[in-house]
Amino acid sequence: MCAAFVALASALVPLRVDAQKTDRAKSLGTQLMCMCGCGQILTQCNHINCPSSGPMLKELDAHVEKGEADNLIIQDFVQEYGEKVLSSPPSTGFNSIAWYIPGVAFALGLAIVIVLIRLWRQRDIARLASASSAPVSAATASSTMDEIQRRRAREQADRDTEEL
Amino acid sequence: MDIFGSYALLLAFAFAVYAIAGGIAAIVTRRPLLIKSARNAGFAVCVLIWMGTASLIYLFYTDNYAMAYVAAHSNHNLAPYYKFSALWSGQEGSLLFWSFLLSIYVFSVLFTYRGKHPELMPYVGVVMAGVQIFFLTMNNFIASPFRVFAASGPGGIMHLVTRPDGSGLNPLLQYPEMAIHPPTLYSGYTGFTIPFAFALAALLGRYPGEKWIHLTRRWTMIAWAFQSAGILLGAHWAYAVLGWGGYWGWDPVENASLMPWLTGTAFLHSVIMQEKRGMMRVWNVWLVFLTFMLCILGTSLTRSGAVNSVHAFAESNIGHWFWGFLLLVILVCVAAYFKNRDYLRSDNQLDSMLSRESSFLFNNLILLVACIAVLAGTLFPVLSEAVRGSKISVGPPFFNRVNIPIAMFLLFLTGVGPLLAWRKTSVESLKKNFGMPLIGGCIAAAIAVAMGLREFYVGLCLLLGVFVTLTILAEFYRGARVISARTGSNLLSSASQLTMRNTRRYGGYVVHFGMVLVFIGISGTAFNQDKQMDMKAGSVMSIGPYTLHLQNFDSDQKPNYSSERATIDVDKDGRSVMMLYPTRRFYPSNQESGTMVAISSTLREDLYVVYAGTNPDTNLPVIHAYLNPLVKWIWLGGVIVVLGTILALIPNRQAVMVMSAAPATAASPLPGGPQPARASYSARSKLPENHD
Repeated sequence: MCAAFVALASALVPLRVDAQKTDRAKSLGTQLMCMCGCGQILTQCNHINCPSSGPMLKELDAHVEKGEADNLIIQDFVQEYGEKVLSSPPSTGFNSIAWYIPGVAFALGLAIVIVLIRLWRQRDIARLASASSAPVSAATASSTMDEIQRRRAREQADRDTEEL
Repeated sequence: MDIFGSYALLLAFAFAVYAIAGGIAAIVTRRPLLIKSARNAGFAVCVLIWMGTASLIYLFYTDNYAMAYVAAHSNHNLAPYYKFSALWSGQEGSLLFWSFLLSIYVFSVLFTYRGKHPELMPYVGVVMAGVQIFFLTMNNFIASPFRVFAASGPGGIMHLVTRPDGSGLNPLLQYPEMAIHPPTLYSGYTGFTIPFAFALAALLGRYPGEKWIHLTRRWTMIAWAFQSAGILLGAHWAYAVLGWGGYWGWDPVENASLMPWLTGTAFLHSVIMQEKRGMMRVWNVWLVFLTFMLCILGTSLTRSGAVNSVHAFAESNIGHWFWGFLLLVILVCVAAYFKNRDYLRSDNQLDSMLSRESSFLFNNLILLVACIAVLAGTLFPVLSEAVRGSKISVGPPFFNRVNIPIAMFLLFLTGVGPLLAWRKTSVESLKKNFGMPLIGGCIAAAIAVAMGLREFYVGLCLLLGVFVTLTILAEFYRGARVISARTGSNLLSSASQLTMRNTRRYGGYVVHFGMVLVFIGISGTAFNQDKQMDMKAGSVMSIGPYTLHLQNFDSDQKPNYSSERATIDVDKDGRSVMMLYPTRRFYPSNQESGTMVAISSTLREDLYVVYAGTNPDTNLPVIHAYLNPLVKWIWLGGVIVVLGTILALIPNRQAVMVMSAAPATAASPLPGGPQPARASYSARSKLPENHD
């Protein structure tokens, strides 16, 4: 029983002490990752006995208290822990590609959708034109187009009323 | 019993091999007896997997610590209900559980369509058995849950070694939600095997028409509902257990579950185009393939250790098996597509940019971009390491920044899509349908700005949320009004009739409304507050409108853990409103601690209090309090999403035909007498335009 309580007490080691004294420190903390391997933002790591988040938050508070500029503080952390300490990829160099991927994917997808829609519409027009290009009178051509429209409407009605 | 389970799984593997061989032979020879034989082998595989799973559960309940898996994930003092959930708490058990859930789907499909669709089902059976073989290979030869502790005895004879007690279950998993979150999420993952099997089967067998889509629609919706519920249950578990005040951390395991959900959602929308217009056949087949591949990819990522994850089974040596399987799936899908791609030619064309079809195209585009953004963020650390030799972190700030605009566009389309007619929508119709909802949304956003709201995305989310809600209400109102006019019943009853007559369409609207609530709830994150203090008895902490008075600390000893608890009296506006008891537990069997967060939840906000630890400098307990607005809306929205999906799964009620008096016409007078009113049949109501 005693051993259990001793273990319990040792497990209740602080996660962060006197940390995040200011909003600025909190804001900077969200730009950094905890380096314990938990994959969490520095200010959100709450792993029991985390060896990293407590000291890192203390270090962050110390920088903020000294009145250092934000980018210098972040650079300090990068020098100490490497680029991995940043919670999002830097916007320069190779790693900036991560930021472009969603935008490029959207632009490409949008272009494909627009081309596809145009292609489909052109094919539709061509189909209607070929149906009406036969050497027949205007009245016959018109009735052919009407027939196509009617057939489509029938198909549509069939699908709409189908029990799914 | 260990031998029984082991043999059951080995036999299941053998039967699965036969199900494939027999199925292929049946396809080639078209002999009915072979078709039946392969199907029966499929049934046998499922029953044997159930027996294997049952035997492992039995071993947990009988505390058989000669079994390595049982010893690693249970102990004598573990509560009985957690001995059941311990089944999927580790790598080997979770893979067996995957096989188990898959076997339920496979059995249900084989049973539902026994003797039906003889051109399609042998192919479906072969594909399903192929997937089962992979997991049975894992269960039998790579990550068997039936490994035993053994030692060499006299004469070199091996004998079982039973340990006195097990290591116990991970404390983070000793929470009621962990008993339902993994089964729900795994049911989603495994469920996507069924549409995949049908799509591949239809492509391989060149099965004519859209029948495979009709057959798999409900299976896809079931899988999607499970996936949705599983994701939200996981988020709730993270929120209530991990004690960091959030519910979604963009962890690779979370991302792995989100990606197939996004493509599955895209499929559920674009499949309507194939059903209604015969369009997007190639796209739909590839969306199904992609959804299944993402299920496997996500599992590969998280079980191979390729990406960092907080999840316990993240690093293991089985990842390359999943990569191999994924490669095989891709090869089979690509080969099947190139062999039979002419079979997927579309019938119809697009008539206008302003149409339901184009809105579905944009919906699919946005969902796919979201999926690519999540995949890119998840994989980029690996890519960066491969190219530059050093890993970088891609954390929540990246995912939030990239995905919030995408989510807003999606929310906009959720409101716009249902207002557009098939083929072409006139500008007048657009104005008529959009006007009021858009004005309503703008008014709501304007009120919020006037009250001090300054966060752009929150304001936009509110505007779009109100817009979508009003469009949904307008759709119900328009339909209900027509029925009410015809039948004389009140609007509520008419709305109910309307819903039951086209459950898919109106269930879909309910799902959309649930998603609106989820979005609104997520937007509350912008106003989160938190405060942390070293507190002793009598200390006071203020956060938002609440004042926390720490009264005392006490400790308790349970068979499986010891705990320390803080008692906090919470005041609001000078009045005591509740008591909260944040707790820390210590589990001696595995020397780990866990938090029991105290949460007071209302629709307005959650007061979330964590007993975070002890400050070694002051030796005082540390209490961390969070004020998280609107979180309850997320869970409420999730429930509505699931209910909406269940509603959409209910078969449509047939339109009732009623006798009504037809107007007398001069053209048809009855000769020789007075003209009677003629009886004619008419549908009870005519629904408004645009319906599915």
